[in-house]
Amino acid sequence: MLVLPPNSGKLFPRVRTGIRIALLLVLYTPLRGIADDNPPQSEAARRGHAQFSQSCAFCHGANGAGTTEGPNLLRSGVVRHDQNGNLIAPVVRDGRPGKGMPAVHITDSQIADVVAFLHWRLDDADRATPADAHDSSLQHLLTGNADAGKAFFNGAGRCSHCHSPSGDLAGIATKYAPADLQARFLYPADVPKTASITTPSGAQVTGQLLYQDEFSIAVKDREGWYHSWASSEVKFQIQDPLVAHLELLHEYTPASVHDVFAYLETLK
Amino acid sequence: MKLFMLLFASLCCLSGQGLDPAALLTPATSTWPTYNGDYSGRRYSALKQINAGNVSSLSLAWAFQTHSDALKSTPLEVNGVLYFTVPDNVWAIDARNGRLIWHYSRPSQGDHVGQRGVAMYKDRLYFGTPDAHLVCLNARDGKEIWDVEIADVKFGYYISVAPLVVKDRLIIGTSGDQVDTPHFVEAIDPKTGKVIWRWDTLPRPDTPGAETWPNKEALTHGGGPAWLTGTYDPNLNLIFWGTGNPHPVLAGVARPGRNLYTCSIVALDADTGKLVWFFQPSPHDTHDWDAVETPVLFDAEFHGRQRKLLAQASRNGYYFLLDRTTGEHLLTAPFVPTDWASGLNARGEPIARKDKEPQPDGSLVEAYLEGATNWMAPSFDPETKLFYVNAFDGFMVYYLTLNRNNRPDDHQGGAASSLWSQSLLVAIDYESGHIRWTRKGEEGEGHPGILTTAGHLLFTGDTSGNLLALDPENGHTLWHVNAGGSLGSSPMTYELDGRQYVVTGVDGVLYAWALPGT
Repeated sequence: MLVLPPNSGKLFPRVRTGIRIALLLVLYTPLRGIADDNPPQSEAARRGHAQFSQSCAFCHGANGAGTTEGPNLLRSGVVRHDQNGNLIAPVVRDGRPGKGMPAVHITDSQIADVVAFLHWRLDDADRATPADAHDSSLQHLLTGNADAGKAFFNGAGRCSHCHSPSGDLAGIATKYAPADLQARFLYPADVPKTASITTPSGAQVTGQLLYQDEFSIAVKDREGWYHSWASSEVKFQIQDPLVAHLELLHEYTPASVHDVFAYLETLK
Repeated sequence: MKLFMLLFASLCCLSGQGLDPAALLTPATSTWPTYNGDYSGRRYSALKQINAGNVSSLSLAWAFQTHSDALKSTPLEVNGVLYFTVPDNVWAIDARNGRLIWHYSRPSQGDHVGQRGVAMYKDRLYFGTPDAHLVCLNARDGKEIWDVEIADVKFGYYISVAPLVVKDRLIIGTSGDQVDTPHFVEAIDPKTGKVIWRWDTLPRPDTPGAETWPNKEALTHGGGPAWLTGTYDPNLNLIFWGTGNPHPVLAGVARPGRNLYTCSIVALDADTGKLVWFFQPSPHDTHDWDAVETPVLFDAEFHGRQRKLLAQASRNGYYFLLDRTTGEHLLTAPFVPTDWASGLNARGEPIARKDKEPQPDGSLVEAYLEGATNWMAPSFDPETKLFYVNAFDGFMVYYLTLNRNNRPDDHQGGAASSLWSQSLLVAIDYESGHIRWTRKGEEGEGHPGILTTAGHLLFTGDTSGNLLALDPENGHTLWHVNAGGSLGSSPMTYELDGRQYVVTGVDGVLYAWALPGT
């Protein structure tokens, strides 16, 4: 894969989208289609998904990705070159006796629905990127030990220096979906930095850091006004509230990541 | 008769405007006739009119507005004309003033994520398309001469690579990882578009390398795209090309083994396409860490002995130095902080940590979503003897997702969350792998490549939208400008009528920079 979407705050909505997929698999409800990154599932595709589950999934898997009994349809030339069922429908109707596929006795209308589902599946699967959310249900993520996580929170992790389970973290597990919570406790990227500027005349300006590079620095002051200076002409100090989070990223073990998550999930 | 003579003279003149492939055998001094400037991939120019002593006065010479998406191609400069691309589009413009000569447009289906540029052979240009075709254009007017299908767009193939002209053939590789498909490098006849040879990045069943896959099904769907232009050593007659990640991308559980020849650097015989040697930077990759980054060629000492070297700063965060004659491994050294490997094996390959592979409950890894580097071109400066690469440090959580049948439901087989990242420009001592200097950038987007010149300059951009000229010895800023967008390609340079230009593609605008009054 070449270029992927850059790091951005849009990540978290994508994670929530992924959790919706878990429901989709169980309920055949196209919740994933609600999100902007995923193709909507038409009524025909929705019916086709149910039909596929009933007539095809035993060999081809619930999502057509194949089993030991039947091939992955996402890799099928018949499916990928199909136009409105011209290639898929004959295979469903007549089977492929030479390859062990029996004819599937469903109506033309039902075949059309299955065709619609398979085209939706191709579109959906082809859009998957590493930046997409995954099927990150709480069941998958909750592998740590909450007691060990609490000990880390109050001890080696130094989390309690800034955070409190009865204060800013009260009910945190109810505010974020599990995968969101896991990403946010590791590094909540949307927390702004502040900067204190001393100008050549000695004036002090403190505000939210908007921009900084080797050449210039800009802040928004408490009244909401924008100020900028050449970096070389002012003295400045930047306060990054996430410094401790960044330090911890270097210190976590695989176990402590999941222990802290398990502890935070108890804060309902 | 006079008219006939005039026409004949014009035709002779025009035929002289093309590019003889033999000219590529000698590194260009004042032009930029191929994707990397020359076969070596060093992206080092001998031009020095613009130099460390005068670069502070560098000014805009002209700009060309494409009204398109971000430029990711490196322009060619041949006989006073620049040729460059975005997906579906090729432009020829006057290299003196940025005036349009012609524009070719071919709307197509397929992946439009990137297009690296054209190749020139005699009076023709060659252009890969989002629907995986190769198109031959008349360089005079942009008229189409032929159009051949290289691969099936329905399986997610596309051609983003800038073809490499080697003698009387074009070398191309396939892009695409929307589907679990096999990939290849091909030599194409520039006259007809016919295939001369093909090298599959995945071995055929029952041939050497196939044993590094669990079964035929995994092998024949194992990915390995070859989506960046390689390099060529005319004396060895070897083409050096990088290959991309295996499939399913994050679900290594579906393909136990080294997964040859994915995430590899390969040397191919230019005449036959036969594999001569390979080195695999990321055996059994599970993080989408293509090894397609430019295999840069230079001759220099290694431990007191003169060698023909090949260096790559790979997407997995490691710098590799090889003997390009034999593929002998010489050095592996990290160029960004990363924790996915526990050490090196006897072949010099990083040993992946199992606990850093994608996991159902998430695996925290010090890495960036796009890898430690990506398609932005590195540069090797023979004067400083430093290898420069734009890189990223970061932290990610990688997830593995399997269905009830213990299979991935798509070509990814998982996902990743990006937590934090920072851009870095890293200068690597080519022989020791030690980091000579690092220039830290800010958070933000950017994929700037690097150009070094005999003017003792390093041109690049940063993630804040600045174009930069740096001192290559220490990374200090000598010139900068906020160009109003992101440098999404690699700077290139040429000299025309005694004036040196440096060209940068910022978003959809091509800017040419030169000294005032030259």
